Amino acid sequence: MNTLDEIWRVRNAAATTLGLIEDQMERAVRAASVDDLVALIEGFSPARSSGTEWTRTFEPLVERLWTWCDDATMAALADVFRARGMPWMGVTNALSVPNGTTIRADIRHPAGARLPAFTLI
Amino acid sequence: MVLFQGPATVGRLHEEIQSVRYKEATDTFCRLVTEEDRPLKSMIKEAIAAAAPYVQVPSHLMRLPTGEMRGVNYDHTILGWRGAISLMRELGDNRGVLPSVQAMWYVPQGLNVWEQVICEFPGHYARDGEQCNRKFPGPDEHVNRFDGPAWAPPKIYFEDHAPILGGSVDERLDRMSWAIAEGEKAEAYGLFLGLAQDPANRRRLKDAILFSGIIDLQDTIINRGGYQNIGHKALRARALVDIADYLGWDQSHELMYTVVPDLACSPHLHGLWSEIANICRMEIPDHANIPKRSAKPLTERELDILTEALVWGGPAEVNSTIMSFFKRGAGILDIGDGVMVAFQKYLIDVLEHPNAFLHPTHALDTMNVIMTWCRDFDNPHQVKGIFMGARFMNDTVRSNAMMPRDPASRLESRSKYRGWADGIALDRILPVLKEHLLAQDAPRSCALVDSYLDRTTERHTLLDTITYAACHWQNDPHVMRNCSSSLEEYRANRTSRKDDIIRGYAKHQARYIKRALTHDCFNLYAGHFKVEGHA
Repeated sequence: MNTLDEIWRVRNAAATTLGLIEDQMERAVRAASVDDLVALIEGFSPARSSGTEWTRTFEPLVERLWTWCDDATMAALADVFRARGMPWMGVTNALSVPNGTTIRADIRHPAGARLPAFTLI
Repeated sequence: MVLFQGPATVGRLHEEIQSVRYKEATDTFCRLVTEEDRPLKSMIKEAIAAAAPYVQVPSHLMRLPTGEMRGVNYDHTILGWRGAISLMRELGDNRGVLPSVQAMWYVPQGLNVWEQVICEFPGHYARDGEQCNRKFPGPDEHVNRFDGPAWAPPKIYFEDHAPILGGSVDERLDRMSWAIAEGEKAEAYGLFLGLAQDPANRRRLKDAILFSGIIDLQDTIINRGGYQNIGHKALRARALVDIADYLGWDQSHELMYTVVPDLACSPHLHGLWSEIANICRMEIPDHANIPKRSAKPLTERELDILTEALVWGGPAEVNSTIMSFFKRGAGILDIGDGVMVAFQKYLIDVLEHPNAFLHPTHALDTMNVIMTWCRDFDNPHQVKGIFMGARFMNDTVRSNAMMPRDPASRLESRSKYRGWADGIALDRILPVLKEHLLAQDAPRSCALVDSYLDRTTERHTLLDTITYAACHWQNDPHVMRNCSSSLEEYRANRTSRKDDIIRGYAKHQARYIKRALTHDCFNLYAGHFKVEGHA
């Protein structure tokens, strides 16, 4: 039982750390310009990605953008990538209103939880 | 449907194949079998012979005027025949002829690939992949001239050669393997022909040609463009072995002409092979003595660890995981079976976009070649084959994961339809499954398969249903090849999770992108062979 107790304490410490980082990320995203956000998203191009572990975090990022950015910012982001054509179609679809509506409707904020139930990895 | 009047002849079949009149060629093929009583086997041989001179390319890399390189696709005609022959036995009777008719339908569309990719010859690549008609339209805007017929004869890039005789068998096998790896097409082909003449050599020859194909495999496809072969050397070698066994080796000259020179065609990709050979030499120096099966197959926990490495890990994790299993005493096929079921997790739970199935299922089919080689032959390098196949699978997962997920291709969960599937009577479930496979409804198809697997131990009719439905789709030899791989691996697999192969198989056949949404070929077949379902 001691082991279970210890593991749960470590898990709680990790969750607290992650919560603090989510707070920082939220503040950074809210303060970012459209150009800053475009530069972040461009890092998910297969030619620029540092690897699959990075690219797989695209969806968790998109969830947070739809939660923390206003509609005008999201529309501006979608316009930038839509103008780049087919290679960026997946990204454009992720930034487009239908996907945002789905994400905003699906993300729960469980009673008793400090943060919404974002995807971790 | 009869597309022309007068007797069907073999000469006519050759002419229609070479002039890319695929509908007419398929009609003639069917009429030769049904009206002229020509044996199916000899018509398959004729179709292979008609195509053989026109399936070679100068290289699988084409240098562009800019100095950049683009890939040139591998011949798929022979892969269709290999799948068809395997499924002939599987489906039986007249239903078993359908895959051969599908293979025939594709053959005229798969000639002269080099000219197709530069829009100078009609066929599947020019019409679909390259969209040549947009770039070079004909006088009638409603006619896609790249659908055939051809306006010029196909080119021959490699003339037929005479057998090379003389020297001991060991010497000639060594020279042949070296010639394949070095790109000496004529020498490799001549030596193969010479060795194939003596039935006593054929078993060793099969092992050698499979080995040559398996070790020629890219280390990664990530951002590589055309500098890869996605397992096509191994797939061709397997096609040669299977079709020659079916036709008879003395009846297989044109088949050998189709396959062997291309095994020596550039590029030659032995980087992954070198890496795996190196780590095996360092970590398991006695790997040549590892048994096929052991008394210590993978545990459930080990299957979970392997799944995690294969689907979510990187190349080093795949190497290290497999290495740990060999070092603790698992056998070659124990681990290979584990790799095959672990990979299904990706097909079942992760893959969504219809286009994204292409590379992973090439990896699955390549792993099937490796596994049959391990099952049917004894070769001191087979341990390395398991690493090669697993690395290819993992690389295709990682390659797909380099693209941000497109929400437009999101797939509903299969579990959403489980209640619906459970409500269908067991004796009705397979016809409903067929309907949903043909409708390309993956969530419902997969829910039906889950429900069936849980409610009965019957598997043969389930596999038959998936396979026959899959064979309705035309223009794509990958379909039949994947059917064949999935069926073989399901039957040979000894893990507790072998049913996952059926789940992955059904998902693939219900979701993988289709090259045509009409069933003209099936309808032609159904009319000639008087089977149900003629639309």
